[in-house]
Amino acid sequence: MDPIEERKLLLTRRHFFGLGATGLGAAALATVAAGDAAAADPHQALSHFAPRAKRVIYLFQHGAPSQLDLFDYKPGLVERRGAELPESVRRGQRLTGMTAYQSTFPAAPTVFRFARHGSSGTWLSELLPYTGGVADEICLIRSLHTEAINHDPAVTFFQTGFQLAGRPSIGAWVAYGLGSENSDLPAFVVMVSQGTGNSQALADRSWGSGFLPTRYQGVKFRAGADPVLYLSNPPGYSGQARRRFLDDLARLNQIRQRENPDPEIGTRIAQYEMAFRMQTSVPELADLSREPEATFELYGPDSRKPGSFAANCILARRLAERGVRFIQLFHRGWDQHSNLPREIRAQCRQTDQPSAALIRDLKQRGMLDDTLVVWGGEFGRTVYSQGTLTQDNYGRDHHPRCFSMWMAGGGIRGGLTWGETDDYGYNIVENPVDVHDLHATILHLMGMDHTRLTFKFQGRNYRLTDIHGRVVRGILS
Amino acid sequence: MAAGGLSLPAAERTLEFNRDIRPILSDRCFLCHGPDAAAKNVPRRLDREADAKAARDGKRAIVEGDPASSELIRRITAERPALRMPPVASGPRLTDAQIATLRAWIAQGAKWQKHWAYLPPVRRPPPAVRNRSWPHNPVDRFVLARLESEGLRPSPEASMETWLRRVSLDLTGLPPTPAELDAFLADATPHAREKAVDRLLASPRYGERMAARWLDAARYADSNGYQYDGERVMWRWRDWVIEAFNRNQPFDRFVLDQIAGDMLPGATLDQRIATGFNRNHRANTEDGIVPEEYAVEYVVDRLETTATVFLGTTIGCARCHNHKYDPFDQKEFYRLFAYFNNVPELGRAMKYGNSPPVIPAPTREQQAALEEWHRRIREVERFLEARAQETGRDRQEWSRRIAGEAPAWWRPASGIVAAFPMEGSGEAKPVGGTPEVVEGRIDRALAFDGKTYLDAGDIGGFDIEDRFTLSLWFLSQDTPDGSLLSRMADNPKGKGYGVHLNRGKVHAHLTSVWVDDAIRLETEESLDAGRWHHLAVTYSGSRMAEGVTVWIDGRAARTRVEQDTLYRPFGNAGRAFRESFRIGGGWGAGRRFRGLIDDVRVYRRILEAREISAMALGASIPVIALKMEALRSEPERLQLHEYFLENGADDEVRQAWKRLASLRLEKEKLERSFPTVMVMAERPTPKETFVLIRGAYDKPGEKVEPGVPRALHPLPAGAPNNRLGFARWLVDPANPLTARVAVNRFWQMYFGAGLVRTTEDFGLQGEWPSHPELLDWLATQFVRSGWDVKAMQKLIVTSATYWQSSAGTPELFERDPDNRLLARGPRRRLPAESIRDQALFVAGLLTEKLGGASVKPYQPAGLWQETSMQDMYYVQSKGPDLYRRGLYTFWKRTIPPPMMMNFDAAGREACVVHETRTNTPLQALNMMNDATFVEAARFLGQRMLLEGGPDDAGRLRYGFRLTTARAPSAAEERVLLDGLRFHFDYFAGDPQRARAFLGVGDSPADPAADPRRLAAFGAVASLLLNMDETTNKE
Repeated sequence: MDPIEERKLLLTRRHFFGLGATGLGAAALATVAAGDAAAADPHQALSHFAPRAKRVIYLFQHGAPSQLDLFDYKPGLVERRGAELPESVRRGQRLTGMTAYQSTFPAAPTVFRFARHGSSGTWLSELLPYTGGVADEICLIRSLHTEAINHDPAVTFFQTGFQLAGRPSIGAWVAYGLGSENSDLPAFVVMVSQGTGNSQALADRSWGSGFLPTRYQGVKFRAGADPVLYLSNPPGYSGQARRRFLDDLARLNQIRQRENPDPEIGTRIAQYEMAFRMQTSVPELADLSREPEATFELYGPDSRKPGSFAANCILARRLAERGVRFIQLFHRGWDQHSNLPREIRAQCRQTDQPSAALIRDLKQRGMLDDTLVVWGGEFGRTVYSQGTLTQDNYGRDHHPRCFSMWMAGGGIRGGLTWGETDDYGYNIVENPVDVHDLHATILHLMGMDHTRLTFKFQGRNYRLTDIHGRVVRGILS
Repeated sequence: MAAGGLSLPAAERTLEFNRDIRPILSDRCFLCHGPDAAAKNVPRRLDREADAKAARDGKRAIVEGDPASSELIRRITAERPALRMPPVASGPRLTDAQIATLRAWIAQGAKWQKHWAYLPPVRRPPPAVRNRSWPHNPVDRFVLARLESEGLRPSPEASMETWLRRVSLDLTGLPPTPAELDAFLADATPHAREKAVDRLLASPRYGERMAARWLDAARYADSNGYQYDGERVMWRWRDWVIEAFNRNQPFDRFVLDQIAGDMLPGATLDQRIATGFNRNHRANTEDGIVPEEYAVEYVVDRLETTATVFLGTTIGCARCHNHKYDPFDQKEFYRLFAYFNNVPELGRAMKYGNSPPVIPAPTREQQAALEEWHRRIREVERFLEARAQETGRDRQEWSRRIAGEAPAWWRPASGIVAAFPMEGSGEAKPVGGTPEVVEGRIDRALAFDGKTYLDAGDIGGFDIEDRFTLSLWFLSQDTPDGSLLSRMADNPKGKGYGVHLNRGKVHAHLTSVWVDDAIRLETEESLDAGRWHHLAVTYSGSRMAEGVTVWIDGRAARTRVEQDTLYRPFGNAGRAFRESFRIGGGWGAGRRFRGLIDDVRVYRRILEAREISAMALGASIPVIALKMEALRSEPERLQLHEYFLENGADDEVRQAWKRLASLRLEKEKLERSFPTVMVMAERPTPKETFVLIRGAYDKPGEKVEPGVPRALHPLPAGAPNNRLGFARWLVDPANPLTARVAVNRFWQMYFGAGLVRTTEDFGLQGEWPSHPELLDWLATQFVRSGWDVKAMQKLIVTSATYWQSSAGTPELFERDPDNRLLARGPRRRLPAESIRDQALFVAGLLTEKLGGASVKPYQPAGLWQETSMQDMYYVQSKGPDLYRRGLYTFWKRTIPPPMMMNFDAAGREACVVHETRTNTPLQALNMMNDATFVEAARFLGQRMLLEGGPDDAGRLRYGFRLTTARAPSAAEERVLLDGLRFHFDYFAGDPQRARAFLGVGDSPADPAADPRRLAAFGAVASLLLNMDETTNKE
């Protein structure tokens, strides 16, 4: 990492994890910077344009929801039901090892009905009645595509812009670029909830900081007594005792500080103070008992269950209210290789109402204008059935060539449907958006130029979008 | 940052191309005007002197001595954005200081240099210094000369206590004990410090400490990574590393063993284990992947790791295109790639356990135990040999006696699990009817009608890593078909194992999940109907088809493999696999066997070929005995002989024979308990390597041969052009990088940053060394010493540089915040594992045991379940294993130990050689509230109470000394005493509090102690553990 850049960030911006390291005067900085190549390249990401969104709530649907059963309406498929997917459509497409064995690829139209919603007339599946209710707020992108075909590389790609582990996650980049608005909470918070369907593993590094300093990594909030690991005092040890403990600790550290001018000592004192503040602010944040009844009605019955996706959506709004920059929810269980109709119905029952409620809730609080909400998985699912296709049952394999996501809020054109796929929902025919484009667009809405948010590591200036990415201007309001 | 730039403006100092100019050009120009220029369609290269100074279209980029005529200067200062370099799109313009530097350098004559790191190190004599009394060894003269030139003075010496704590933490990862402190303080001899260092270097803890960083570099972990992230077993490699450091293996041997130990002549077990270094990379086991794609990733990982760890080179950049900055082209990347591309490995790795190539890797104790079994076996064998003549005579006599008697058969007795002679239907539970008893091959047999089978219950419960043998006779009237023996769910895709007949062919399988997690093979030959066949199937537990052999009538049959690999145990995640052993069924109701079955036998070992061929003979012993000795076939002789040893020989011989069989079984059992380790190996026929276009596994380009980059030295004379030759090339004294990179990382361990701060990158984008002459001197010294690792550590820690106090003046902190000039001692937060190790150590809880399987200490409940696959649970260790040093903590890549991650441990996904430190509130919460630290504080408090003397002040001083190695000042003592009083009152206020507080952790509190005092001391001990000074190396 580059300490010069580091130090500048510390001095010029408020950083959740970096307060207090201001023992260095401006004079020191000037001396350090003289003749230094790296110092000539300070962060300029912030200054490029006014942000449209101050924060992001990213509802990651882990396992990859089927676009064909939720978003991408293909009425023509009904009459092609069971017909072999033409080679002219598949075009030698790489298949996963799970269906590469399959001898036939029968087209499987969705069993769910679609209807138009809102004044925009957005097509949505009957599984998403609540989302239909906010159709005019969301921009549905049906032309996402990715390079990866298996979960781990695909999630890693979505989270870091690269299929192999090791790079910073998007939330860490945002935290690094913008810092936190709240000195009592981290800039990047993650919550995981369990679905009802087939779950795949999720790695901690998905919200890691990669080669960025670890202070930018996502902090996982969990349901239960310790929303943040090690937050609670040991049993029998009260907050009042902790206060006294910290006063004593600060005294001891200050005595030491008189002997040694290392600014890290001051930082340590400040970080213990922040830990103490977190012990108050985080439980207060996680405590939904003061939420009015109307909130639970809005987010649905699940929202009373700690750790559910719905409860996490309420927490996401509370985090947003408190200025957390990047809030990411992972909901597991979308990997429906078989029994898709049954499983996806259950998944939607958990996610549809709270996702839409979050939009409504943000809107009624006047926060939707500067909060960007993103909803989607790591790839799409195949139009052909994995396993046997029957009248009311089928499965779908991974499909990277096209899938759907939606975005809403700060800077997004609500009611828009962007991009189009072919009659099979297999290839994109209009306005393709790749993962780097999505990243570039998110950063753009946050006021950052994705080509200038860089970090030097192993001799190279890295960025989230690598050497790719174009802002999808058509979806901006 | 160029440390050379700390003082004077550019125009007033002599500028050096490598130090001052190349970093600017490399950072801002080479991306286009560098080695990859042609690809970018950019005319001029600035990385080569000739190009930069040549005239092109009447312009020269650099005109020696004439900045004004140099196109370079014109372009970087151009006002018009269209003309200005670097182009607007590629980032901000150069700073005024950078422009001034370039201008001054051209004015000074624009002298070029090859990149310093690719030139051999030059050993210059340590420079002359004004302050002759300060230096302790040559290191100090280099450091001091630089300080003097900067007008700085070294800081005063750190106190004896501070130094001993510093060096103890640095060399062993643990602080000194009060006794060690006392002994050191009392030692007035001139070599006291050297003695202390020698003591620390001789401690086995030294190997653990050194290994910790090596594991980061080698991306060591206990799981595979990627999606599934199942467990693997590599700790024998980890223990090899600890041992290698402890026995002070010369660094060149250390490298050779790890890169190519398997290829060394007469490679020892240790040398083969060492090669696990390059099998520590992640391995993908997801069902849907294309194996070829990941096979490429593994090789890339090996190459990138090797290049980073030993060469400080970011070679990975050349995977997809020519390196943008360093002189390596894409073809050279794949030539290096070829050295690591010849491992007989799977692209899709085993979901659980190790993936081939794998070897058994017994621990030292197991090796000794194995030797003992061998000794005992040899003893019995010698006895039997000594009695051979006598036994032979006895056997002849015996065989004459039994010739023609009632039939009796021989079958191997050793390792038998169950035998079903098929003499009647009562041997197992008949299902779907009752098989008829008929005349058989060996006495009677049972006749199956295609609907019936026998349920033999819970026998043969082998799992996928067990060895076993199944044997039987069968006869089919029609084309042989249907299931013979099985332990599997009763359907064609069922989980478990089975031996079946399929239209005349023998079909053997082990299935975990059909179709992608199974072994299935079929014989090429078809068996005929209407006659008896002997059939045996052996399985080696290898989880691959090569481990299965089908024996028909005593011969190994040729087979066709349908499914090759088995990943998941039948009894997955510790769950029992409940199926019956079935005879004549188990492949689905439609596939019951029709025909006769006789003499079914199940063994928990692999029978030898000769044993199987003897069984397949199926001859009665008294009939064989009738034959003349010379006319007996080899299998006949074997049967007769072994039958005799079991039944006819004299008591002593019979007993010895029996003992031999059981010793052999015991030995095998021991061998089966050996941990394994993944190792490097070479394919018998070399795999071809191609340039991969844009790095993609499915876009092969030109074919390449292995080779080293042209910018570096050639392979040493006589070295083979393979991985072994490459390893020799790495440690060739002509290699300009290996020694520099190694000593630089050692330096980083002590001073927090390397002399080249970019420890991972010595290339053009890396940093210029802060003390280039010192780096070269250390590198040449390292090679001269015979790559003596301990001597190098000793040299550094006995320097005056290292002895300085870390408490510099505020002015010094301002002038040199990162301590690049080394005018003060190092001060740095301890590495993650040391923070925990130290707490356990001062608490008296640390379990000091070298090596062994990884352990699972306290971790907040539920972490694994929340995000990992459904069948992986964190089962916390118990007792002493809760308190092992951090390097033994089980490392699951996708969910690493949270405490380690909070304190900046390397993630172990990929190679990490750079040490980072952050300072966060999560660390504070971790230290205050994690059960590990709360329990350790309680034990530290208890120790203070029990060992700290008669009064509270003394006890607090004792605790303070345990954690900081020094006595508290009066002010500090006051804070602690006040704190103790507060906590005593706090806990006295409500007895519940102390009970709850003392209940944290598995180890109970001293029942004799007053709980209020114990809790109060525990709380103050927590204060001591949380002090900044405690968590730092001062």
